[in-house]
Amino acid sequence: MSNPPHVIIIGAGSTGSATAHDLALRGLSVTVVERGEIASGTTGRNHCLLHSGGRYCVNDKEGAIECIEENLILRRIMPHALEMNDGLFVALDDEDYAFQEDFLAGCEECHIPAREIPVKQALEIEPFLNPKIKAAVQVPDGVFEPWRFCTSFLATAKKNGATIRNFTEVSDLVFQGSAVAGIQVFDHRTGKTETIGADMVVNATGSWAGIIAEMAHVNVPVAPTAGVMVTIGTRLNNMVINRMHKPHDGDIVVPVRNTSIIGTTSWRVTSPDAIEIPQDQIDKMMHAGELLIPSIKAGRQRGVMAVARPLIASANVDARDFSRTFEAFNHRKQGGAAGIITISGGKTTTARGMAEKVSDVVCAELGISVECKTKTTPLVSYRDFYN
Amino acid sequence: MSLQVTLKILRSRPHQEQRYDTFDVTVPDAANVLDAIEQAWAHHDRDLMFRHACHHASCGTCAVRINGREKLPCIAPVKDYDGGEIKIEPLRNFPIVGDLVVDVAPFFQNQEASDFIITRPTENELDGKAIAHTQGLDPESAPTVPFNRFENCVECGICLSACPTMSADYKFFGPAGLAAIKRQLDKTTDANEREKLLHLADDEHGVWRCHSAWECTEACPQSVFPAESIMALRKEINAQRFKKFFRL
Ligand SMILES: Cc1cc2nc3c(=O)[nH]c(=O)nc-3n(C[C@H](O)[C@H](O)[C@H](O)COP(=O)(O)OP(=O)(O)OC[C@H]3O[C@@H](n4cnc5c(N)ncnc54)[C@H](O)[C@@H]3O)c2cc1C
Ligand code: SF4
Repeated sequence: MSNPPHVIIIGAGSTGSATAHDLALRGLSVTVVERGEIASGTTGRNHCLLHSGGRYCVNDKEGAIECIEENLILRRIMPHALEMNDGLFVALDDEDYAFQEDFLAGCEECHIPAREIPVKQALEIEPFLNPKIKAAVQVPDGVFEPWRFCTSFLATAKKNGATIRNFTEVSDLVFQGSAVAGIQVFDHRTGKTETIGADMVVNATGSWAGIIAEMAHVNVPVAPTAGVMVTIGTRLNNMVINRMHKPHDGDIVVPVRNTSIIGTTSWRVTSPDAIEIPQDQIDKMMHAGELLIPSIKAGRQRGVMAVARPLIASANVDARDFSRTFEAFNHRKQGGAAGIITISGGKTTTARGMAEKVSDVVCAELGISVECKTKTTPLVSYRDFYN
Repeated sequence: MSLQVTLKILRSRPHQEQRYDTFDVTVPDAANVLDAIEQAWAHHDRDLMFRHACHHASCGTCAVRINGREKLPCIAPVKDYDGGEIKIEPLRNFPIVGDLVVDVAPFFQNQEASDFIITRPTENELDGKAIAHTQGLDPESAPTVPFNRFENCVECGICLSACPTMSADYKFFGPAGLAAIKRQLDKTTDANEREKLLHLADDEHGVWRCHSAWECTEACPQSVFPAESIMALRKEINAQRFKKFFRL
């Protein structure tokens, strides 16, 4: 084993980026390889919502608690890379209104700060909101910008000695006996194939985790489910606007910079690469968005995007009901190859927490004990990535 | 419904001759040029290098030249390029890393020099009350903090590519960097900070190098108006000189 041990992380989405930061901060030697641009997988194209947990507080309490904990931590460690304007959950009809009781109870149980605000006040703050809303509850949602989110973690990792190689694609794994001992990569810049040795490999390739796992002859049950988002070229809300009901298609409008983004749907796809967007999904989004903010109808569509969730599959459940919490697979313990750990599932909001968990597993496997310090370590500017 | 398009993409690597490759792809009606590039990568050539992340004009990574004009391909509808070929080339005035990928490091170092913070208090553009957020910590607190939002500039580098001064002087601070200085200047009342920012702009490779071609403002996809910022900075610098001269 090299000293300090060398860990390779495959994938520079939110999971891989946060893991690089965690392990570099613990003093390990870290190399990140990413086949394309930073955040060019699922993370870049997500809905940008720094979850308060409100969306999950009734159906997935575990997920909701992770969200609020991480939300509060991120506000401290990357304050300049977030829009922190809270969110409103609004009731549009009687059914939504009846759900409010469960919603408030869920928030309380998950320790999500929530307060009901009078409809009149909500409409004053959000003049474009549907004037027919029956109730509004404010929660600490926020907005991140996914590429800068990842780059902030990577810039900090780099400052702590990590090497980050984008446009470097893993084409195979290298074995020593039956254990993974490194990777084979194709560097798109140079056109060269090379091998890099490692004491441990972390597979943080999200929806593509199954492909890397296959190279290690292990099975990771990732079930890519796509979601579509439609961007309106005007900012129509200050806060994140959520519909107060059980998670449903197109029930959130996230404001980012000078736009509002409506999302999102959920359908199973076979490959997470270059998902084609069915027009009916776009129409569905527009309709759901208009119910919350009627001016969306007159708004100019500025962009449409779709991307796949790296959810862990379990049999016979609807895509939307998969747990949003994450899983770190230590393949050795499951009778598979040693030297490789897969981390998948979760959300960008919970990336730091996921990184802490997988880094603990990595350190335990390497027989070292160093404490995680990412909860209290402020990140450097994302631009320092280019220093 | 779907659209058939032919992309003609400039390919290059340090170890290869430059060439144009053509790709025939089929995309849905709602697709943007970035989707077409991604299809070319997914179905025709996995070695095609391009930058992309958010697909909604927020990250700024995907900027290229489409038929000779600087654009964010993520918000350039394919149907606007009816029929013919779409020619795609990397930005100008940046070193090329490979294909459509350029080296943005010097650009980001300039952006960092002004400590440009990418969030700002919201201007009350929604016409609602720009009252407060709770910072998530104390929902009972009186609303005192204004809403914040990300700056318009997505740091895409389009203005540098479109700028004729930039191609004549690679040390030129560039439209985005100067606009960032102006934004920071507007955000601070601290005299030392202001002095530092004006000093940064007041340089032979700074505001005085600009030839007022206004190409940056023309090309910017985010209504940042860098040229206007450069003119405003010149005024502020002159005013400061005037004050200093007369010891006002
Ligand atoms: C529609 C939608 C909306 C969402 N909205 C939100 C939201 O608003 N808020 C939130 O917190 N979460 C949201 N999520 C969830 C969140 O986006 C994901 O959980 C998260 O981005 C997963 O990150 P990741 O790093 O695990 O995967 P990814 O971001 O996909 O990263 C994996 C990386 O691995 C790379 N890779 C793959 N194969 C290789 C290889 N062979 N060699 C090298 N690199 C490779 C890929 O290029 C990719 O960059 C959303 C998800 C979806 C689908
Ligand atoms: S000023 Fe406009 S063109 Fe220049 S980097 Fe910023 S967004 Fe891009």
